[in-house]
Amino acid sequence: MAGRGRGRRMMSFSVDAVGINRGDTLPPTIQQPTPAYPAMENKPLPLAAGEEAEYMLALKQEFRGAMRSLPCFIQPAAPHRDVERYSDKYHSSEPTDSLITWTPDWRSLPRELRVARLPRRDGVSVSRSVPSGQIRQVKEKEEILLKLESLEQKEQQGSSEEEEGEEKKKQEEEEAEGEEEYDEEEFGEETDYIMSYFDNGEEFGGDSDENMDEAVY
Amino acid sequence: MTLQEVRLCGLLLREHFGEVVEKVGKHLLRSGALNLRTIINETGLPLDLVKKCLCVLVQHGACVFSSGRKGPGSPTEYLTSCNRILRILRYPRYIYTAKTLYGDTGELIIEELLQRGHMTMSSTVKTVADRLTQNMEEGRSMEYSEVSSAFSNLVETHFLQRCPPQPGAGGKDKTTAAPTDNPATPAAPAKTTLQTAESFPDCYKVPHMTLSGRGKRQLSTEEGEDQRNAKKPRLDTATHGDEGIYWQVNYERFHLHFRDQAIISAVANKLDQTSSEIVRTMLRMSEVTTSPTAHCTKPLSSNEIFRSLPSSYNIARPILDQYLTLLVDDPMEFVGKAGESGGGMYVVNLHRALANLARATLESVVQERFGSRSARIFRLLLRKRHLEQKQVEDFAMIPAKEAKDMLYTLLSENLVQLQEIPKTPDYAPSRTFYLYTVNQLPTARMLLQNCHKTVANLIERRLFETKESKRLLEKSQRIEAILASLQASGAEPEQLQEVEEMITAPEKQQLDSLKLHINKLDSAENQVDETIFLLESYITGTASST
Repeated sequence: MAGRGRGRRMMSFSVDAVGINRGDTLPPTIQQPTPAYPAMENKPLPLAAGEEAEYMLALKQEFRGAMRSLPCFIQPAAPHRDVERYSDKYHSSEPTDSLITWTPDWRSLPRELRVARLPRRDGVSVSRSVPSGQIRQVKEKEEILLKLESLEQKEQQGSSEEEEGEEKKKQEEEEAEGEEEYDEEEFGEETDYIMSYFDNGEEFGGDSDENMDEAVY
Repeated sequence: MTLQEVRLCGLLLREHFGEVVEKVGKHLLRSGALNLRTIINETGLPLDLVKKCLCVLVQHGACVFSSGRKGPGSPTEYLTSCNRILRILRYPRYIYTAKTLYGDTGELIIEELLQRGHMTMSSTVKTVADRLTQNMEEGRSMEYSEVSSAFSNLVETHFLQRCPPQPGAGGKDKTTAAPTDNPATPAAPAKTTLQTAESFPDCYKVPHMTLSGRGKRQLSTEEGEDQRNAKKPRLDTATHGDEGIYWQVNYERFHLHFRDQAIISAVANKLDQTSSEIVRTMLRMSEVTTSPTAHCTKPLSSNEIFRSLPSSYNIARPILDQYLTLLVDDPMEFVGKAGESGGGMYVVNLHRALANLARATLESVVQERFGSRSARIFRLLLRKRHLEQKQVEDFAMIPAKEAKDMLYTLLSENLVQLQEIPKTPDYAPSRTFYLYTVNQLPTARMLLQNCHKTVANLIERRLFETKESKRLLEKSQRIEAILASLQASGAEPEQLQEVEEMITAPEKQQLDSLKLHINKLDSAENQVDETIFLLESYITGTASST
């Protein structure tokens, strides 16, 4: 390039045009990054004081404080700790005001942002507009349970009426539980076969653990 | 959308809306227009939280939505811009200006609207009346009509405006989303043209509202409050005839007001009080006739100015003419002469005044950071445009070595640029002129970025200090609460003293110094914001006119 004279010491720009004369000491080369907080030779001017500045300062701090208590201030739900701590019941929880629940005017927002009930401070929400498959499955299960219970009741009324109400309820509960498990097994894996009839052979050889006298090879 | 702007916007969102909104807002700022599903995937937040954040951002005007780029069927896209979020820094100034112009009522109206984003007139009036009533003495309350008249005044002078109806918004139909006064909303959502509030002719029309009554004072008993608040949302659903008409603060009008104030105070500092009054009169007369982006005001004749001067200033006609001549001859070029009819036609040069104010800011920055001799070199280069090394030394009357040193310092800080002018087609260094120069507009942009970085650093330092002393602050808050409850229930002074002594002396000292630091950092933010305003107005004014 322009500065590579043969063996001669030349710099990449002309010496006298920029102002470095011969024999002048160049400033020392810098071998590490400049310090993060260099000492300032010229101190800055003091801040503007006065009534106006103080009033605006007060306004600013009040505004910030007020914004924290408005419903626009969104805080995510506190992460659930693994164990309940003693201090949990002493953490101050803000009083829930009617100001907190806030419904914007849905006409001025796009339809997809609509939530059935905008929740309060924490992110725990009960939104029903999310059509997920799980809700449908739960509803189906509930319907099936109700149908089975009603069928049962008809059978029991037909057979014996000597049973007391509590036993009936217990039985119904047990049967409901049994049916729940039944249903889960049946519908959980989406097959036509009832899973409890199928024996995978996992229980084979389990009885041999009862006699520990003989060594197991 | 520089890095520093995004960082500052994130911090402002965090302080005012919480960390979740900060995350969503920062992501939108960095990525441009996105639709809902993309935001959810990329931020990793749950669907409901993202929806809530977007509602909050749209409500406060920080985010606009439009139907997607691929046509009317594609999902809506959300777009955020830095400018609107950076306005949050200026909120105290807006509120203070409203107080000076319209008193306490105006101040509270503007504060409520800034806190909530969009509000209807009736809800604003009710909330403000309640707040004013609380601060009044017992037995007196604020009339709704007084607050409504203050609101109407604010709308007349264009400090408040209606929110534009958004095309593509969900709802029953698009026609009912707009207030009935407005002309029919466009049938196909406009993708490219974002409707500003001013593109609707009725944006400054006060709706006819049936609202009468007085402000309510809240009872001091807690139970009464709870019951009343429990019943309140059900009782307050009475409509007042202005449903669906939302109002927002018109920032541009406030900015025009600040610009006028800056010019008037500059004239007062440079010349004297009377000249500033003359300029104030001229600006007041041309408030309605000047468009916001005008280069200079409409020409005003000297006769008109004389008639409109405030009556407290009894200056004779020839003296007014002398003042005007002085203003025209001043090198800052605030006022210019546009003709001779009517005793002389005078204009206020708005853009040139802003440019000169920005130039003065740059010079003062160089002076405070590098000393008055470097400032002399800087001013010299601003005036003479291009100078060689030797000429700089001669004109600035500074010894060569020191001048060289200062020039190189300014060059390394990028305040001064080097321009090469070759004599021969190969840029041989011995045969090239090297000229130093200062470009005002890029330097102003760089300084504006520095200002944003400064404010972001100030906010971060304040958050750090608060976090360090969190335990101490909580303790002091609890003790204050205990003291307040003791005093309310009438305790003896010994008990009060006992409670006060729970804070030890060194802790009190620590608290005092913490408060001092936080106040300093806050007022520093306010002051830097004034510089930001000046530089921003200069940059937008010059960039649009060139």
